[in-house]
Amino acid sequence: MLGYIDKIKEISKRLLDEGKVDMIIGFKKGTMPMMNEPCFVKTPDEASKLVWDSNCGINLANYLTDRKEKIGVIAKGCDSRNIVTHIIENKIKRENLVIIGVPCKGMIDRRKISAMFDAEVRQVSEEGDAIIVKGNGFEEKLKKSDLLQDNCSTCIHRNPALYDELAAPLVEEQKDIDKYADVRKIETMQPSEKWDYFDNLLSGCLRCYACRNACPLCYCPTCFVDEANPQWVGKSQDETDIRTFHFLRAYHCAGRCTDCGACERACPVGINVRAFTKKLEKDCFEMFGWEAGISIEKRPPLDTFKPDDPGKFIK
Amino acid sequence: MTEFEPKIVSFLCNWCSYGAADLAGVGRMEYPPNIRVIRIPCTGRMSPKFFLAALRQGADGVWVSG
Amino acid sequence: MEHMGVEPGRLNFSWISSAESSKFVDVVKGVTETVKALGPNNNFKKAAKVA
Repeated sequence: MLGYIDKIKEISKRLLDEGKVDMIIGFKKGTMPMMNEPCFVKTPDEASKLVWDSNCGINLANYLTDRKEKIGVIAKGCDSRNIVTHIIENKIKRENLVIIGVPCKGMIDRRKISAMFDAEVRQVSEEGDAIIVKGNGFEEKLKKSDLLQDNCSTCIHRNPALYDELAAPLVEEQKDIDKYADVRKIETMQPSEKWDYFDNLLSGCLRCYACRNACPLCYCPTCFVDEANPQWVGKSQDETDIRTFHFLRAYHCAGRCTDCGACERACPVGINVRAFTKKLEKDCFEMFGWEAGISIEKRPPLDTFKPDDPGKFIK
Repeated sequence: MTEFEPKIVSFLCNWCSYGAADLAGVGRMEYPPNIRVIRIPCTGRMSPKFFLAALRQGADGVWVSG
Repeated sequence: MEHMGVEPGRLNFSWISSAESSKFVDVVKGVTETVKALGPNNNFKKAAKVA
């Protein structure tokens, strides 16, 4: 993954030099370890500040919504699928985009690393498939495959679905992955168990809406949580309100979610908010054979009708 | 205590089930009084917001019919 | 909804033509029975009255 950056810089510089794009959206080094920040590069000289490593989990498609200028965007597998979704939903024009595809080998979960050490983690670097963690008085070498974000470890679309330039040769996709083991576990529970499971899951929720803001699908001009008349959801810390927010957020992502993990990554209290969206993602896959963001030609399942659509839930 | 009588919020499509309800009324058919009918212009108007709002405000059940 | 712990049967869907009044009556009866069997909705109801 580290080797990609020279190529990314080179492509970005070239695109800016030739005037093909007005800006490049990529990552720069964050002020904290394991937290790369998105950045907008507008001149060829600035291209040198771009970075690429295993801490680029933020979904850059989020920054494209309704942009009018020509943009070069660095996209890993899930970013590219969300860009496709944006194009299908007319949120960005294909011809205004130059997609720099980056085959991805998964992003690391900073919470898994922080949880392993009592002291503060000061520096994290990587070498091939190893992650080197440094702090005050300790240094440890860890295997990257143990530290992947949950959604990355079960990802089957590591290569970008749509790209104009490629920063590195395509990587081999993971095979024989049981993507939905966690969803099935919940499915076997009794209703009251499920209720308790989600109660427990949401007990820490602060309603900060970080999951919504990090999500590339959430671009409504006025989010339902901010609507005051009618007020769909109260603004308090009430359990029902929290639940309503998460339910509706999940429904809004139905058939569009690419399971990029941005919501979970953004959550300040570490709630697995993907537990909601993933069930709908699974249903869409099983009922309609649909995976979001694979092709710009196909219409999404919720705005088309086919005679063989499943309708068993209707009496 | 008397038997539990649920409140069921029913979202009925103007052209389908609402018509059927009307016809049932015209035909003087009997059905349980537990439903509270909300007429929507088409089932396409239905949104997850609606049934969540109904349940939040104390409905015991929701029925969507097109 | 069911996945998130709302009991199956709280939320019902059906498809009735405007000419099917007898089916309408049947479905109303059916839905009422299901919800009755489930009992009151205590889980999702907001404790304080929504203004």
